[in-house]
Amino acid sequence: MTELTDYLTDGRLDADGWTAALADDRLLGQACPDCDHVTAAPKAACVRCGSRDLEPVELPEEGTVYSATRIEVAPEGFEAPYTVALVTVGDARVTARIDADVEIGDDVRFRGATESAEGPAPKFG
Amino acid sequence: MHDARIAGAGMTPFGVHESTLPELFADAALPAMDDAGVAAADVDAFYLGNAMSGQIEGESHLAPTLASHVGLAGVPCQRFEDACATSSNAFKHAVRAVESGTHDVVLVGGVERCSPETGKATDEMTRIFASAAHGTYERPTGITFPGVFALLTKRHMHEHGTTEEQLAEVAVKNHYHGSLNPRAHFGKETSVEEVLEGPIVADPFHLHDCCPFSDGAAAVVVASAEAAAELDCDPVAVAGVGHATDVVPIADKVHPSMTRSARDAASQAYETAGIGPDDVDVVELHDCFTGAEVLATEALGLVAEGEGGPAAAAGRTSLGGEIPVNPSGGLKAKGHPIGATGVAQLVELTEQLRGDAGDRQVEAADVGLAHNLGGDAATTLVTVLEVAR
Repeated sequence: MTELTDYLTDGRLDADGWTAALADDRLLGQACPDCDHVTAAPKAACVRCGSRDLEPVELPEEGTVYSATRIEVAPEGFEAPYTVALVTVGDARVTARIDADVEIGDDVRFRGATESAEGPAPKFG
Repeated sequence: MHDARIAGAGMTPFGVHESTLPELFADAALPAMDDAGVAAADVDAFYLGNAMSGQIEGESHLAPTLASHVGLAGVPCQRFEDACATSSNAFKHAVRAVESGTHDVVLVGGVERCSPETGKATDEMTRIFASAAHGTYERPTGITFPGVFALLTKRHMHEHGTTEEQLAEVAVKNHYHGSLNPRAHFGKETSVEEVLEGPIVADPFHLHDCCPFSDGAAAVVVASAEAAAELDCDPVAVAGVGHATDVVPIADKVHPSMTRSARDAASQAYETAGIGPDDVDVVELHDCFTGAEVLATEALGLVAEGEGGPAAAAGRTSLGGEIPVNPSGGLKAKGHPIGATGVAQLVELTEQLRGDAGDRQVEAADVGLAHNLGGDAATTLVTVLEVAR
């Protein structure tokens, strides 16, 4: 199995590393040691406190649906219908495809990546 | 420090237009200049809002092109892009320039063409609109903008018990208001049943929970109080402009359905104007989707938390209600040509404060508030206008 460090560039997790990990069915994020914010959307600095001292982390695979919508009118390049959700994973939230009929509060599990014209997206179900 | 006034206002009907962007823009800008009593030589600068002409029509460097078309060649021009909050941000910077004394008289305008008349089909335009979502962390999921606001609204429904019927009531109200506005894209009334029977776009939103793809333009002339006093115009006062942003992507927002940027922008605008929500007589707010109006009425403090849906259903936000919201018909019925929307809200409020709004006139309208958001509510501008004393 690829080490988490193999997805980092100069010790940092960036969008390319996050996407490469997702393509390998792994969901990575960043934890801020200064304010404890955890994100599934890696950035150059913490979105809550501005700290650049962010630790790459492997996010939990068990999650809970925070909100979800079934999209019936899709953008060019996508085939409707499908469900997009905000999923709470540990202390983070992630925007993901959901491969099941779900309601807010349902337990879901990370099922790897779904490929799209715009790149891979996390899939839960 | 100078006080800023809106000295003149103009807009095109919103709907489907065949004209080019410069021609469409002129149909708003020239009436606004005439309304303000200014000639081209009186205008010191031009602030443009246009979000997507590069993507939709392959048009860039638009500000000098539009300025040249309406006789303003040579003035400093600047263009703003903040998704759907685009022209409110142009307006804010125009107001700051007048307040600081940098300029005395400026033209602010917004223009956009989004209808199928552009040659872009629904799926293409849906993709272009989705460009305001995060390219790595959101767009690969196939998220759309109806989907973004559906996620916020579904959460609000979960937390507060807001119903699909209450959402539909927002559409019914705004379609009724739009039926009184000759410039509205949709001039026809609708019913709760008709909304709920429509096809789903992104649940809980049916087709008539969503604003249309519109073409249109809007413009105002902003002048210092001193300059406005010298013009043959009927000015309204700019009492406060608030501007705040929030986290992108949505998943990282602390409480997405609270629309933090709206609350922060409203606080700033209320504080500058020295008023509170109870002092507002008429509101134009960003109802890109019915759920967005529910969230906004709460974020602006017009109704209590969780009461946005019941308030709309009870008629509290209708013309004749305690706080009329979107007498123009809002984005829902008046239409939503992205870059023109923010300034169009100010055109409506200017007419309301002048008592010139015809069948949709709000009685005793002395204080008006505009709320214009961009993207997933990551940008919001709130503007308070008052009758000039």
